[in-house]
Amino acid sequence: MILDPLKPAFDPVDLAVPVFVVTIVLEIILARLGKAKAVYEAKDTATSLGMGLGSSVAGAITGAAIFGVSIWVYQTYHLFEIPMTAWWAWVAVFFLEDLTYYWFHRLSHERRFWWASHVNHHTSQHYNLATALRQTWTGGIAGTWLLWLPLVFLGFPPAMVVIQKGISLVYQYWIHTEAIRRFPAWFEAVFNTPSHHRVHHARNPRYLDANYAGILIIWDRMFGTFIPERDDEPCRYGVVHNLGDFNIFRVAFHEWMAIGKDLAGSRSLREVVGYVLGPPGWSPDGSRDTSATLKAKWRAREEVNSKAVEPEQIAAE
Amino acid sequence: MVDVGPRATTLPGRGEGEHVNETLLKLAVSAGLVAFMIVVAAWARIARPVAPLDDASARELLAGEFPDRAIDSLWFAGDGAGVIGRSGEEALILYRLGDSWVARTMPWRLALVAPVLRGKVLLKLRDPAAPIARLAVSGVNPWPPQTPGEALAA
Ligand SMILES: [Zn+2]
Ligand SMILES: [Zn+2]
Repeated sequence: MILDPLKPAFDPVDLAVPVFVVTIVLEIILARLGKAKAVYEAKDTATSLGMGLGSSVAGAITGAAIFGVSIWVYQTYHLFEIPMTAWWAWVAVFFLEDLTYYWFHRLSHERRFWWASHVNHHTSQHYNLATALRQTWTGGIAGTWLLWLPLVFLGFPPAMVVIQKGISLVYQYWIHTEAIRRFPAWFEAVFNTPSHHRVHHARNPRYLDANYAGILIIWDRMFGTFIPERDDEPCRYGVVHNLGDFNIFRVAFHEWMAIGKDLAGSRSLREVVGYVLGPPGWSPDGSRDTSATLKAKWRAREEVNSKAVEPEQIAAE
Repeated sequence: MVDVGPRATTLPGRGEGEHVNETLLKLAVSAGLVAFMIVVAAWARIARPVAPLDDASARELLAGEFPDRAIDSLWFAGDGAGVIGRSGEEALILYRLGDSWVARTMPWRLALVAPVLRGKVLLKLRDPAAPIARLAVSGVNPWPPQTPGEALAA
């Protein structure tokens, strides 16, 4: 295989399309036969797959321009000569791309401007292989692709970065399932798994803003965002305020519209900055909930509940 | 997981026409596959079972959505696919979407004057993510409730 640094030799996502179709059908049939845990609602599935289709159209429109920028950066200047044929270069890009993905994903949840692009992926109240394909249409506009440019600046050929991004995307596909409960402890310790990513898709306050991993869960463990799935608290999927219908245009654009509405009503620069770059749910008077306030309220309830249980236990003893 | 990013198929290097044709063909094939998967999902009937709301199930769902709110009274949609709880000056609105639920709040006084059109009360939620809730109104449960302002039978 010829490895052209400026033209990806293959696209992992394209190659994986038949696998997507076969595994989705398999997951549905196994669930139907009662052999696996999976819930599919036809309209929800249509929305997820429609978003996937639309995302590939959006990618075709913005992809060439974005890739052009990374070629331009690479050709203008790069620190090191990193050969695409060296095994160590692939090991290095694997770790560095995955670290980049972690911070991209964390930013996409913690700041509203990038959340507006990413939220669509979390709008399904289901968690199945079709949910994995509920992909953004506005990633190119949100500019998060800039986060991958330092890799090119370092000297990783643009084609290499694109291929590794594709591999990561394909890896993250199969973890969108309830059919697999848990893997052996060593695997759960190192890799992003269905269990870890279920937590990421959950709207339970306990699970909010956790497990941003792409392929390796080690980054969440290192940076303090890891939350394990608990058997006594099943994940409830979706976003804090679930969408009112299955319209894919609403899925793609609702948060952008909400930002626009808030900006139109803004009365100061502080409000503008807060509405755009604050955490999702930020409001000038704190009347709306953010992940932090939802977690705080949940913790307060837990404390009240545990205090209520203790005297009963003592009485029973 | 987002950002499919640039695809091999979108890269420069070949004739523009050939490239566009290949992209369109891929899109058409993908659309066909998507339609097939939707049909399979509909055929399987593996959605969550949903029964019309009753007092217990409505309270459980509302408690999940609004854990810090006390519920003064409940009004049920005629088809059991929605409920409006009163919590002080706030209306807690919950309605079914597919096999799942959507919840929002609005001021109770605005909910009371919401119009009823073709058998449904239309509640403007002022949220681009869920602009309007439509709850079925029956003769048994008219909207607004018969005794507005008072606690309704729960
Ligand atoms: Zn996410
Ligand atoms: Zn996901």
